[in-house]
Amino acid sequence: MMSDRLRAFSGQIIAVGVALLLGAIIILLVGESPVHVLMTLLRGAFGDQEKIAGTLLQTTPILICGVAACIGLRGGMFNVGIEGQLFLGGFAAAWVGFSFSLPAGIHMLAALALAVVAGAAWVAIPAFFRARYNTNEVVSTILSNYIAVLLTSYFTIFLFKRPGGWSETPPILATAYLPEIFSFSRLNWGLFIGLALAIGVALVFRYTSWGYGVTIVGSAPKFAEYGGVNVKRQGFVVLLLSGAVGGLAGGVETLGVHHRFMEGFAPGFGFDGLIAALLANGSPVATIVTALFFGALRSGSLLLEVDTSASREIITVIQALIILSVSAQVLIKRRGDSQAGERRWKF
Amino acid sequence: MVSNAPGSPTLHNTAAMAVELTGITKRFGAFIANDGIDLAVRRGEIHAIIGENGAGKTTLMNILFGLLQPDEGSIRLNGEATVVADPAAAIKAGLGMVHQHFKLVPSLSVADNVFLGMEIRRHGLIDHAAQIARTQELSKRFGLHVDPTERVGLLSVGIEQRIEILKVLVRGARTIILDEPTAVLTPQESRELFQTLRSFVAEGMTVIFISHHLEEVMEVSDTVTVLRNGKKVATRPTSELNKDELVRMMVGREVSFDRRPRAELQGDVILEVKDLWARDDRRLPALRNASFTVRSGEVVGIAGVAGNGQTELAEVLSGLRPASHGEARLKGQDLTTLTPAAIREAGLAHVPGDRMLRGVDRNASIAANTLMGRQHRAPWSRNGMLDWKAIAGNAGALIKSFDIRAQGAGDAVKRLSGGNIQKVVLAREFTNGADFLLIDQPTRGVDIGAQEAIHDEIMRQRAAGRAILLISVQLDELAALADRILVMFNGRIMGEVAGDDADEDRIGMMMAGVSPQLEPA
Repeated sequence: MMSDRLRAFSGQIIAVGVALLLGAIIILLVGESPVHVLMTLLRGAFGDQEKIAGTLLQTTPILICGVAACIGLRGGMFNVGIEGQLFLGGFAAAWVGFSFSLPAGIHMLAALALAVVAGAAWVAIPAFFRARYNTNEVVSTILSNYIAVLLTSYFTIFLFKRPGGWSETPPILATAYLPEIFSFSRLNWGLFIGLALAIGVALVFRYTSWGYGVTIVGSAPKFAEYGGVNVKRQGFVVLLLSGAVGGLAGGVETLGVHHRFMEGFAPGFGFDGLIAALLANGSPVATIVTALFFGALRSGSLLLEVDTSASREIITVIQALIILSVSAQVLIKRRGDSQAGERRWKF
Repeated sequence: MVSNAPGSPTLHNTAAMAVELTGITKRFGAFIANDGIDLAVRRGEIHAIIGENGAGKTTLMNILFGLLQPDEGSIRLNGEATVVADPAAAIKAGLGMVHQHFKLVPSLSVADNVFLGMEIRRHGLIDHAAQIARTQELSKRFGLHVDPTERVGLLSVGIEQRIEILKVLVRGARTIILDEPTAVLTPQESRELFQTLRSFVAEGMTVIFISHHLEEVMEVSDTVTVLRNGKKVATRPTSELNKDELVRMMVGREVSFDRRPRAELQGDVILEVKDLWARDDRRLPALRNASFTVRSGEVVGIAGVAGNGQTELAEVLSGLRPASHGEARLKGQDLTTLTPAAIREAGLAHVPGDRMLRGVDRNASIAANTLMGRQHRAPWSRNGMLDWKAIAGNAGALIKSFDIRAQGAGDAVKRLSGGNIQKVVLAREFTNGADFLLIDQPTRGVDIGAQEAIHDEIMRQRAAGRAILLISVQLDELAALADRILVMFNGRIMGEVAGDDADEDRIGMMMAGVSPQLEPA
C-alpha cells in the first residue's frame, strides 16, 4: 500500500519535472535564459520575508479552493465550479461586511458564514440536477462559473457600487476584517483557516464512518450502493460541502485581503485550486504542498516582468504543461486502457 | 483444405510447433509467478492450460502475448525464435488473445468495434458496408452469431466475447489464446464456443485455452498442460487422462463435487417471495410472478441459464432494483419498499454475482473492504468515528479463518487472485450476523481448492441455521449444496426439484423452458 502511494508520488514529481523542462524549452524559444527565469521566480517567491508572506498570501485561496476540490474528488464529484462559488462567497462576505454593523469578531464570523452558505447554495443547483436527473456535474458546474462571475459583476456595478470610479462595492467595516499576521504584509488568518481545513478534511475522510462512505462512493460507486450507501444523496452532500468551502475561499479573500468586493477580485484561484488538488491526487494534506507550489509560481511571476524579458503568462503555460504531463503520465502507465486518464480524475 | 486435426497420425508428428516456450521464468518481487516453464503447442490443436488461481496461467499467456517480458527463457513461434516485445509484435506473428475482461466501446456497433483501429476505408472514409459484410462473413464461417449493426452497449457478455474473438480473427490470428473464456458464459454459450474452437482447428488454426473447469477441458481439448504454483506439472494428451488424475495434478489432492451430507434443519420461514415482478435495464419484464420461500437451515438453489431473471431477482431482493409488482418479506418486512441499507439492517447478507464491480473496491485495502455495510456499527464505529485498529484486527482474523492468501489486512484487494477476492466478500458477508444469505455465483472464476472451501463455508452457514438462497449457473454446485432447486426460465420459476434427487435431464428440460406439469408423469 505504501509502495503504491510512493509510486504515485514519484510519478507526480516526474510529471512536474517534465512540465518544467518543456517550460524551459519554451523560455529558450522566446529568447530568455531558463536559469535566469527560474532564479527570478525563486527570488520573487522566497527572496525576503515580504516575498515569502506574499507567496503565502497567494497560496491561501488556492489551498482553500484545493480543499474544496479534494472533497468533491474523493466523493467522485468533479466540482469545476469552485471559481464561481468563490466569487459568490466573496460577494456575500463583502455584503455582510458593508451592510451591517456588528461587534468585531462576530461580524467576521457572520460574513464568513454567509460566504459558506452562498457557495453551497450556488453549487446546489448543479448538485440537484446531478442527483435528480444524473446531469453531468462537470458541464453544469463549469457553466455556472460564468453566471456567477457576471452575476457578481452585476451586483457590484448596478446595485452596490461605491460612489466614484471603480467597479467595486463600498469597503467593509473593520469589524469584519480577518486579522493580519504580520505588519508588513496583508497575509492573514485565512492561511490558518486553510491549513486547519486541509488537515481537518483529511481526518474526516480517514477516521469517520461518513468519510469512509464518501471515499468508497468515489472509488467504487456500485460497491458503495451494494453496501447500503445512498450514493445519490452522498453525491449531493459532497458537492454541497465542496461548494461551501469554495464560498469560504471567497469570503477569506474578501475579508482578509481586499476588504471590499470588486470585479475580477480573485482571477483563476478556483481553477488553480482544482489543479493543485488534482496534482495532489485528491489528498487535502498533499494539497498544502501543491497549493504552495502554485502560490509561489504566482507571486514569483510578479517579479518576472520586471526583471526579465519573459511575460508572466509563461506561468500559465507551465501550469497547462503540468496538467498535460500529469494526465499523460497516467496514460503511459496504463497503455492500452483508453479510459485510464478519464477515470483518474474521477478517483 | 488439409486438416491438421489431431489424431490424424501422419501429420501428428511432422506438424510444426505453433508455440514453443522454453524455461520461462517471471518474478514479481519475491514472488515467482512462472518458474522455468516449458510449453510446446502443436499447430492445429486445442491446447488447454489448467491450474488453480495463482498457478501462473495468465502470467504465462501474458508473456507469450508480449504484455509481460520474461526474466528468463525464450519463445519460438512457428519454429522461429522471436522476441515478443509487445502485443503488436505478437499480433504480427499471428497470435491473438481474448482476455478475461473485454475492451469494447459500448456506443459503437459490433462491426465498428471489430474493426476499431484498422477500419476498412474507401475514399478516406470508413466503409461501413464492407465492415458489416466482412463481420457477417466471419461470424457465419465460425458460428459466432452476432448482428454486426447492433450497438455493443446493449449486448450480453456472451456476445461481447464473440466480438472479441472476431476482433482477433480480423487481425489475422492463426493462434488464438483464450483466457478463461467460459467464466462469463452460460453452459449453452460455452458449448457454442467449443463448436467455434473446433471450427478454428478444422481450418488449421491453433487454440490455447486457459480454464479451471475440468469438464470443459476434457470435452474440448486435445492436449492438457497442468500448472501448479508457477511450475509445469505435466503436458499430456487429453485422451490419456481422466478427471480424477487431472484434479490430482492440479491441486495435489482429491476434490469431490459430491452431494454434501446434511441434517434436516428446516426452521421458520425467513424469506417469503410472493408474485414478484421486475423489469430489466431495457425496461422489459425480466422477473415474472416469482413465488417461493426460504426457511432457516435450508439452502434453496436457483438454477437456470444465465440471463433468465436470476440477476434481477437478486437485485430486487437486495434493494438495488425496484420491483414492479409483488412483495418479498424478510422476517415479515417487505424488502421491496426498503433501501439497500435498510434491507441489510433487516438481516440480509449478499454475495453479489458481479464480484469485481459490486463486491469489492479493488483499490481499497482488505480491511476497508471488510468494513462495508457495517461502517456505522459498533465496535467498528463509535459516534461516527472509525476504530481502524479494531477493523484491521478483525480483518486479520477473517484472513486467517477464511484462509485468504494475502500478506496482511493492509493489502489492496486488487493484488489478490479471483478466488481470494471472493473469500474477502464471503468473509465480510458471512460474519455480519444476517439471517438470510443471498449468494450469487459464489464460485464463478474461482479455482477448485477455493471452491471447496467456499462450499464448506456455505454448508457451515446452513448448519448455523441461516436461510440461504443460492443462485448458480453450475448444476453440480447446486446438486452438491441445495436442499431444493428452483429452475428459472424467461423470468419464471418453472418448477422445483428436491436436491436429493436432482436429475440433470429434468432440470435441463425446465431450464430450456419445458414446464414439468405438461410432461406425462
